[in-house]
Amino acid sequence: MTTFPKMRDLAHRLLAYEVTAGKTSEPAESATLRVYDKLRQDIGAFAGVAAFESLAFRALTQAKSEAPDLWAVQVAADGSLRGLGEFEPNSNIEKNEAGEEQAGEGGVILIARLLGLLLLFLGEALTLSLLRVKWPDAAFDDSNSENGRKA
Amino acid sequence: MSTQDRVKINKLPTGVPGLDEIVGGGLPEFSFNIIAGAPGSGKTTLAHQFVFANATPERPALYFTVLGESAIKMLRYQQQYTFFDPAKLPDSIRFINLSQIVLEKDLGAVLGEITKEVEKANPAVVVVDSFRTMVRKPQSDMELQSFIQRLALSLASWQATTFLIGEYAEDELRDNPIFTVADGLFWLRQTAERNSIVRKLQIIKLRGQDSVPGLHTFRITDAGVQAFSRTFGLTARKRNPPRDRRLSFGIPELDKMLDGGVREGDSVLIAGSSGTGKSVLATQFIAEGVRLGELGIVAVFEERPEAYAERATSLGLDLETPQKEGKLTILYLRPLDLSVDETMQSILDAVQKIGAKRLVIDSLAGFEMALSPGFRADFRESLYRMIFALTGIGVTILSTVEVDESFTEFPFSTYSISFLTDDIIRLRYVSIDGQLRKIMVVIKMRGGNHAKDIREYEITSKGVIILGKRLTEYQGLISGIPVNSGRSEQKKEPSDHPQIKA
Repeated sequence: MTTFPKMRDLAHRLLAYEVTAGKTSEPAESATLRVYDKLRQDIGAFAGVAAFESLAFRALTQAKSEAPDLWAVQVAADGSLRGLGEFEPNSNIEKNEAGEEQAGEGGVILIARLLGLLLLFLGEALTLSLLRVKWPDAAFDDSNSENGRKA
Repeated sequence: MSTQDRVKINKLPTGVPGLDEIVGGGLPEFSFNIIAGAPGSGKTTLAHQFVFANATPERPALYFTVLGESAIKMLRYQQQYTFFDPAKLPDSIRFINLSQIVLEKDLGAVLGEITKEVEKANPAVVVVDSFRTMVRKPQSDMELQSFIQRLALSLASWQATTFLIGEYAEDELRDNPIFTVADGLFWLRQTAERNSIVRKLQIIKLRGQDSVPGLHTFRITDAGVQAFSRTFGLTARKRNPPRDRRLSFGIPELDKMLDGGVREGDSVLIAGSSGTGKSVLATQFIAEGVRLGELGIVAVFEERPEAYAERATSLGLDLETPQKEGKLTILYLRPLDLSVDETMQSILDAVQKIGAKRLVIDSLAGFEMALSPGFRADFRESLYRMIFALTGIGVTILSTVEVDESFTEFPFSTYSISFLTDDIIRLRYVSIDGQLRKIMVVIKMRGGNHAKDIREYEITSKGVIILGKRLTEYQGLISGIPVNSGRSEQKKEPSDHPQIKA
C-alpha cells in the first residue's frame, strides 16, 4: 500500500504524543492502547461500534502479518482491544536512545493500518478532521514523527 | 391580525439549486420534515446539501445515522459531491451513530440520546437517517405516535430544523402518524422509462409555505441534487404589461404582412417542410434583433453553433461578432438523457444571463428528439409552461417546426402545438408552371390585423426575399397544386394587407 509509510509516520506522531501525555495521566496504559481507544471512541460515535469493530479487525489482521508479537491480540465485539497489554505488558513499549518510552513496532503497525483504512475510505481531509477531535495540532507536529525524531 | 403582528417564519436555503423556488422561497426554520422515497432516489444527498448549506460552528448540524448505510461509506460517497466541504467536519457537522441504542433499547432511550446530543450541541439542523429503520421494531401505533410527537416537540423547542429520512412506498402515505406530525413532506420518485431514468420530486405538504404544486424533475449530478421547478423559477417575477411594440424581421414585406412586425412578447411559429427556409427566417429575425440592440438566444438541436453561424454568414448576416460581444448566444442542446425541464432551464438561464429579448428555438422537432424517450410525453406541457413563462416577461419566441408536405392538407404543425403560439407563418412548396416554388402566408396573428395575402418568396444570398404582390392568378395555392385562374394578376386585385401605421 503506497500510503502506508505516510500512515506509519502519522501513527508514530500520535503514539509519541501519547507517550509524552501518558507520563502524567495514565502511566500504566500503553500509548498504543490510548491511541486505539481514542480512535474507537471517535469512530464508534459517528460510524457505530460495529463499523469500528470491522475496521479494527481488518487492521489487526493486516498488522499481524507484519508484527508477529501481535499474534495474541484480539478485537472484542465492542471494538476494544484485548491481549495487547495482558499478554506481554511491556511488549509495545520500548525506549529510545535518550531513554524515553516509545511505542513498540507492533503498536505502530496496528495504528498505522487502522489509520490507513480510514484514509482509504474517507480520504485525507476527513481522516485528519476526525483525528483533530481527539488530538491537538501539536500531536501532528513534525517533531513527533519518525523523520522528525531522526533529524 | 395585521401583517406586522404575525410571527415571521425565516426561510432557510435548501442548498439544492431550484428547490428554494419550489418550496416557496426556502425551508421554514424549525420545521419538522420527512424526506421519503425509494432506495437510490437521492434522499441522503438532498439532506446533506441542506446540512452543508446551513451548518455553522455556532449552530452546527447533527446527522444521526441508524442502521442502514454505513456512515463511513456514506461519507466516502457524499464527499464526491462538490457541495461537500470537509472543513465543515466536525465543528459544523457532526455524525452520530445510534445503531447500538436502537438495537438494544427502546424508543424512549433513542429519544433520550437524541435529546442529550441536541442539548449538548444546540444544533440548527438535525437529520435522522434512516428514520424508518429506527421505528421498524414492533410497537403500538400509540407508542410510535407518542415518540414522533415528543421528538418533533423536543427538536422544535431546541430551535432545530429537522429532516427524517425514510424509505417509504406511496401506499404508506395514509394513516401514518409520521406524516401527520410532519410540517413538510418531500417525496422523491424515480422510474425507469425505456432506457432512461426519470426522477421527480413532489412537495406533498409544507406548512406555512406557498410551495409550487405538482411533480418537479430533478437530477443528481456531481453537484448533488438539482431540481427544476415546473414554473422555471419565474413565478415570483413580475409579468410585464402587454406592450404594442413591433419587432422587425428585417424583411420589410414580411413586416408589412405582420401589421408592422411581430408583437413583442408573442410566440411565433414558423411551419414548413424541409428546405422552405424556416431556419433562414429565424436567423434573419435574431440577426435583425441584435442589429437593433435586442439581445438574442438561439437554441439549436440539429446543427452545431459554428455551422449555424457559418450559414448565417452565407446570407450576409454576421452572428460571430455579436456572440463575441455577448449580445447573442447560440446554445447547442443535444442532451439525449436530459428532461425537458432541464433543457428548458438551460434556455432560461441563457435568456436571463444576457437579458435576451428574442429567442429562437430551431427546431421543435429537434428539441423533442434530443430528449430522452421518457420525457417526450411531457414535451408539449413543458413547452407550454416555458413559453408562457418567457413571453410573460416580455421575451419574444420564434420556433420553427417541420411539417410533412401534403398536397391534400395544409397542416400547421405535426405536434399539435399551434395552440401554444400567438402567430403562425406557414411556408410551403407549390407547383407552378413546371417549377417547385415557395409561398408564404400568415395564418394567425393573435390580436393583430395581419395580411391575408399568399406571397411568393425566394431564398437568395440575402436571405428571404418576398416577390411581387399576392398571387391572384392562381386558385388552390395552399393545396400545393394550384390552377391558373386566367385572371391577370395583381393589377386587378389590390393587396389587402393592412396600412402600416407610421
